[in-house]
Amino acid sequence: MSRILVWIVLGLALLWAAGNANIGLDKLPGAGPRLAEFLGRMMPPDLSVWPEVLTGLAETLRIAILGTLFAIVLSAGLAVLASETLVPATIWRPVRALLAAIRSIPLILVAMLMVGAVGLGPLPGILAITFHATGMLAKFYAEAIDNVGTAPLAALESAGASRAQLLRWAIWPQMAPVVLRDTVFRFELNLRESLILGIVGAGGIGLHVQTYVRSFQYDKAATVTLAIISLVLLFEGFNTVLQKRFS
Amino acid sequence: MTHALSLHAISHCFDGAEVLQDVSLQIAPGECVALLGPSGAGKSTLLALLDGRIRGWRGRAEVLGNRLPNNRAPERETRLKTGFIFQEFALVDRQSAYQNVMNGRLGRMHTWSSLWGRYGAEDHLKTAIALEDTGLTDLAQRRVDQLSGGQRQRVAIARCLAQEPELILADEPVSNLDPAHAERILELITDAARKRGITVAFSSHQPELSRRFASRIIGLRAGAVLFDKPSAMVGNDDISELYHGTVPGDGLRVVS
Repeated sequence: MSRILVWIVLGLALLWAAGNANIGLDKLPGAGPRLAEFLGRMMPPDLSVWPEVLTGLAETLRIAILGTLFAIVLSAGLAVLASETLVPATIWRPVRALLAAIRSIPLILVAMLMVGAVGLGPLPGILAITFHATGMLAKFYAEAIDNVGTAPLAALESAGASRAQLLRWAIWPQMAPVVLRDTVFRFELNLRESLILGIVGAGGIGLHVQTYVRSFQYDKAATVTLAIISLVLLFEGFNTVLQKRFS
Repeated sequence: MTHALSLHAISHCFDGAEVLQDVSLQIAPGECVALLGPSGAGKSTLLALLDGRIRGWRGRAEVLGNRLPNNRAPERETRLKTGFIFQEFALVDRQSAYQNVMNGRLGRMHTWSSLWGRYGAEDHLKTAIALEDTGLTDLAQRRVDQLSGGQRQRVAIARCLAQEPELILADEPVSNLDPAHAERILELITDAARKRGITVAFSSHQPELSRRFASRIIGLRAGAVLFDKPSAMVGNDDISELYHGTVPGDGLRVVS
């Protein structure tokens, strides 16, 4: 019975989305040739802007690195407060709610607020990434703490270990690979998300993307795109090696 | 200290069921006692209780001359005098055998230097001896998740010995091992304990092993002590009553 209800609700939602919105499906047939023309104008990429692109990319990378670093520091503290095993529910429930609220604010919105607060440049970008990433990272760290096997913990406590010793020698060794994986994953997200920060003036390569596209210099935009793809692929490879090494 | 362990009228309920009912017993220093009984007889609960990991039980318990609290963990001093060997080994998988054994000494170290992994000469010595006694010297640097079941259990025993306890409680220490390994592991525990003058209480559901390695057997059934006598005096009648609730010649009465 309830399964039928679910299908009905899903069907109605689909009808509503497709039927009521002014999507303009009639534009679709002409999209192909226009897209082809757009891509055509990107070829060949104008490599003369390479030095500029490199500078922008380096700034984006710096924003991602520093943003991740500060997020790690904040998350380490907040994770303890969000852990079900380490603190009472009166503390972890509100902290988790706060983290969920932080996660729900889009990065681009945070970046705009930060630009308003501290002005243009990489600083608002770093602050925005820090704020946004902490919402996710602290939750992941807290879950890593909560998912630690309890048997070794009981064993070391029974042997007379203190709370700090338990954290160092029973909890940390078990959660370390998870923390590494989550942190690297978050860094990758930070890197990708910080690529667009420049659009709102929060530093990095996003500024070039916006400038070139708005001024119809698609061959230069193509260079930026290629540079971004290479950076992300490079990091993907690095990540694979890292995961194999630490497990 | 006349008794290593002294229990008087210990009872404990868990989820509304009586897991321990009015258990009273004494164990003398240096004695090696087996808690024998079927699964669910309350052996594990009783051992965990003696290790100070159960709350809210009733009765009076003294462990190594200290009154055991029933509402909090015992003091550090008491905890490190009682060694515990876990059925599932309870090792930290990603650490070396050496570090796992060293973990047994954490209670005897200064917290600050131990957090950085700076251990004293005494700690290194006791760890090396415990590894030697359990035949693990060659495996010391291996991660424990790469060891076999028998080797892991030996690491757990070495950790317990490195702790230098006066009492060893072992919860089904051989139930995860094949018969050949089981004998060697029990021999290892009881020999090491005898050499060091340590009192041992281990639980088991295997009557033959219990009779061979313990000097006294306490039969537990449904949370109560059914018999408590020297191993040599435990007869087949005792065993079958313990496991089947029947005495030969008593018909096939099943007590559930």
